[in-house]
Amino acid sequence: MSTAHTGGIDTGERRRSGDGRPVITDLIDEPTVQSIVEDAWVALVGEDEVLIPLAGEPIGDVVSAWVDVVGPWTGSVVLTTGRQTAAELTRALLAESSPELLEDEDVADAFGEIANVVGGNVKAALPGSSALSLPEVGEAPAVRNPEDVVRLDVLWRGQPLSISAQGALPPLPVPHPPPGGQSPHENGASL
Amino acid sequence: MRALVIDDSRAMRRIVSGILIGLGYEVRDAGHGREGLDVLDEGWIPDLVCVDWNMPVMDGLQFVSAVRSNPAWRSVTIMMVTSESEHTQIVRALAAGAHEYVIKPFTADAIHDKLALLGLLPQEVSL
Repeated sequence: MSTAHTGGIDTGERRRSGDGRPVITDLIDEPTVQSIVEDAWVALVGEDEVLIPLAGEPIGDVVSAWVDVVGPWTGSVVLTTGRQTAAELTRALLAESSPELLEDEDVADAFGEIANVVGGNVKAALPGSSALSLPEVGEAPAVRNPEDVVRLDVLWRGQPLSISAQGALPPLPVPHPPPGGQSPHENGASL
Repeated sequence: MRALVIDDSRAMRRIVSGILIGLGYEVRDAGHGREGLDVLDEGWIPDLVCVDWNMPVMDGLQFVSAVRSNPAWRSVTIMMVTSESEHTQIVRALAAGAHEYVIKPFTADAIHDKLALLGLLPQEVSL
């Protein structure tokens, strides 16, 4: 097992996971993640939609959407916000094709797709080739190594939203389409 | 002109379909590659297919290969619309027989421009 420091020099060892795999902070920085999220926001949510880099406390229940990345770095790209904000995001994403009455599966589908787009572009920014899972929606995977996390906290329309790339220890299984389709897409994972 | 939109996300199907309808396309959609092949098997042959990569049941790459293996569907133009943006993935999709590749997130203008390159803008919006 590596030690955190050697003779006062930071070798980077302390940032690595126990089996020598890189941690996310070695591979991608916060401005890159922010740029990916902002691009996704402009294209999916709306050109005039602004993300303000401030942390906040969601009011009421929270919900997360995430995709898993398996490759040289293995972990999840997770979006978390309040349920009401996820519903607002869905309406913004669907724009004029938004149904009058949103169902939970509409929100799971749309929030999952935003996670899919952000996660796919985070994956592309990582070195080497990786696999991307289908999106999932529900309670976020636990942070397993606090040093293997890049996290952004923003406000959208005044409501808090966090975006994080967080490592998985032990490694996540290689993603396959879930049996019976447990992803939010089409099969409506409940919120 | 006809377009088939294949994506496991209903939201994304609505977005892509909305863009194509706005351009003058008659649009049908499907939730995964197998459903997309079912539409073609019915005899509803589109001019354009916009297909996602990561989907349950049958993914976009398998769909492209299946379409290309059937000579009756040779006229179908396939555009991958996906968050898979690694260069190797793009090369794989084009090698399998996709004509174009659009990376999510995209704008309506990006779709318009790709269709213009492919010569697939319906007459009334082709300026």
